[in-house]
Amino acid sequence: MRSTIFRAVGLALAMIAGATPLLAQSAQLGQQSLRPYWHVFAAYALVIVIVGAWAFSIGKRLRDVESRLAD
Amino acid sequence: MSTRVARGGTALTLLGLAGLIGLFWLSFFWVSTEVNQGIAQRIFYVHVPAAWTSFLAVGIAALCSGVYLWLRDDKLDRAALAAAEGGFVFATIVLVTGPLWGKIAWGTYWTWEPRLTLTLLLWFIFLGYFMVRNATEDPERGKRFAAVVAVVGAIDIPFIHVSVLWFRSLHPEPVVARVDGPALPPDMLRTLLFGVAVFTVLFFGLFLMRYAVEGLRAEVALRERRSAT
Repeated sequence: MRSTIFRAVGLALAMIAGATPLLAQSAQLGQQSLRPYWHVFAAYALVIVIVGAWAFSIGKRLRDVESRLAD
Repeated sequence: MSTRVARGGTALTLLGLAGLIGLFWLSFFWVSTEVNQGIAQRIFYVHVPAAWTSFLAVGIAALCSGVYLWLRDDKLDRAALAAAEGGFVFATIVLVTGPLWGKIAWGTYWTWEPRLTLTLLLWFIFLGYFMVRNATEDPERGKRFAAVVAVVGAIDIPFIHVSVLWFRSLHPEPVVARVDGPALPPDMLRTLLFGVAVFTVLFFGLFLMRYAVEGLRAEVALRERRSAT
């Protein structure tokens, strides 16, 4: 029973040790392939932020001047 | 009058924002992926329409400024100011989305090649437009100086367009405005044209709202002058 546990732990450790470089490599590959997605999402998000900020700023100025006119 | 313009502008802006959602949907879920650049090429559908809109806005600002210098009509100055603000905002979008695409396509965020440099120059010219406008104590003088900056700044636009044809450049040559017709697959062309339409509607909506703000400010100033006398 004890030897079976030792064997299983040894096998698991060997698998982890063998898989570590592969895991690191796959993480690196994953980062490389995901990078364009981040850039696309960032570009589209910035469009929303910049247009939204301009629209918000105009809306605020419009409300201010309308309230001054109403006074 | 200005209030009606503001309402019209708000309606156009809302239409433009709805169109922007549609453009995002088309870009992410409908249009096919470009073979060489992959997903990063989708930045094209916001980058190019923003560039077109900034040129349109700068053109309107220059035209209104030129006629303002001739006729000295304040309405033209207000229109020039509203358009210049739009040109600056959309040029900012061009300058932030371009490097994000460039990093994937060229491996660098920025390079001092002709088109990028001239676009950055345009951005600085229109930053200068607002600085010059507010730099003088006499507002009329500031308006005249700013009008000259807008007219001179617009000269940069044709150079931006031809820079990729005249010089060896990292930036790709035009794919739509070509002598031999557009060089894009139909779905990409449709998405791009839809993007151009959406950005144009959005610009005109916000332009009208901004123009209305200046009209109302002039009305407030007039009332204040009247009540002071």
